[in-house]
Amino acid sequence: MNRTIQIVLILAILAIAAVVLYDSLSTRIDKRPDNPYQFSVEEFKPVDESLLSHREVRQIEVDNPVAFTWQNGKLFLLSGNSLQVITPEGRELLNKRIDFNPRSVLVDKHGQIIISYENYLVALDSEGNELYRSEMLDENSLLTSLAISGETLFVADAGKRQVWILNMELETIESFRGESGVSDVHGFILPSLHFHLAVNEEDELWITNSGMHRIQNYSLTGRLRRDWGEPSFSIEGFSGCCNPYYFAFLSDGRFVTSEKGIIRVKIYRESGELESVVAPAAMFPNGEKAPAIAVDENDHIWLLDFDKKMLRLFRPV
Amino acid sequence: MSKRIDRRNFIRGCARYTLGFGLAGLVGFTLKDTTTGEWVWQIDPFKCTSCGRCATHCVLNPSAVKCVHAYPLCGYCDLCGGYLKPGHISRDTAAENMLCPTAAIERKFIEEPYYEYKIIEDLCIGCAKCVEGCSAFGNGSLHLQIRHNLCVNCNECAIARVCPSDAISRVPASEPYKIKGGFEPGSQDVAES
Repeated sequence: MNRTIQIVLILAILAIAAVVLYDSLSTRIDKRPDNPYQFSVEEFKPVDESLLSHREVRQIEVDNPVAFTWQNGKLFLLSGNSLQVITPEGRELLNKRIDFNPRSVLVDKHGQIIISYENYLVALDSEGNELYRSEMLDENSLLTSLAISGETLFVADAGKRQVWILNMELETIESFRGESGVSDVHGFILPSLHFHLAVNEEDELWITNSGMHRIQNYSLTGRLRRDWGEPSFSIEGFSGCCNPYYFAFLSDGRFVTSEKGIIRVKIYRESGELESVVAPAAMFPNGEKAPAIAVDENDHIWLLDFDKKMLRLFRPV
Repeated sequence: MSKRIDRRNFIRGCARYTLGFGLAGLVGFTLKDTTTGEWVWQIDPFKCTSCGRCATHCVLNPSAVKCVHAYPLCGYCDLCGGYLKPGHISRDTAAENMLCPTAAIERKFIEEPYYEYKIIEDLCIGCAKCVEGCSAFGNGSLHLQIRHNLCVNCNECAIARVCPSDAISRVPASEPYKIKGGFEPGSQDVAES
């Protein structure tokens, strides 16, 4: 009798152990079935090799990057509360503590550094000493990009969906919203809280209208002149809800653009026709954020990869 | 003169105290449960990785997990990554352009170029395909939540057991939802699951 009870108990223990083991093994991550509802954009990531125009030649690790720019042979990099000036080789020339949460940085040809914050701007000299400080532009402002034409500063405000025009002493002159009263020109549409602008060598002001997937050229007084760009997941267009995210100019006026979603960096002719691919999606594995772009005097392309926390230099093949 | 305690009395005393503390603990535990209210399962949208298991592992069919839309975050985009399939032929309501496998998202024109997207919960199976599309290309306004009018509040949530990011945990029934834009990640007290 005792032996029977013992056998039953042992069998019961073995059965429980088997159930626990099976349960444990069957819910292991590598044993779980594939997602039948997998969302995939993999088919749009490969790029025809003949389109690739650049190769990556350098990487510089950086801490908590927020924004960067290139001027006079140096990189100006913003992080949480510091401004770093570094050489193209990564040697630090200046590290200056600044106000918390900067958003974008620009350096003019004379070396004056302008930094935007959520709703105000600060101008520094080349040593990082404060020269000017603007008033709060608007309590709902989010100043995400800067550009200069002559003595005029253009500031993209993603919060107000408008562009502010200031002088170099950071005094507000006027603003515009890209609206004209015509039904098909309805101002800046910004599904994401990012708004980018830049001025090219010809002093033309170009602004992203990312909800429309277009880059638009405005007169310096805010009148729309022309635009280009098409929404598309294929390599020729801009994908997602709000691309292009960043852009910059090569010296001859061609555009370098970067996108989020399917992260890719491309070069477009002035006409808006795709010319080549600088960095395909394969160069940003598991990436989430569009890289910021700067172009140096040699037309080499610098990307600030926020996911890898790295400056990445691309040169023509 | 010290009084000796024999073994029998010592064991009796120990048993009495053990029983007493046990009963007190049980009463305390019960009181805690009754004073802090009930707990329900909920998804933290900031931890969710859109793995699809909410659709396949819920004890209910279709799942009690549904997509919800945080309208204040939505960009009302024409090219919506949560509504339109990658590689869609045109930006309209035709079935071949829809990302959702059950056509559970309604697209409505508001004014040029804005569109509103509404979830039809009866059709939604909680697969998170739209959530992934919206997160990858948009603002992440589409996200999953366990709907408590459907959830049977299992003792051990079958989805939580297989959730790869531990995004599902118990939350107080008084604050049963974690809608994006309405709470800060990590701000809500969450019971151990």
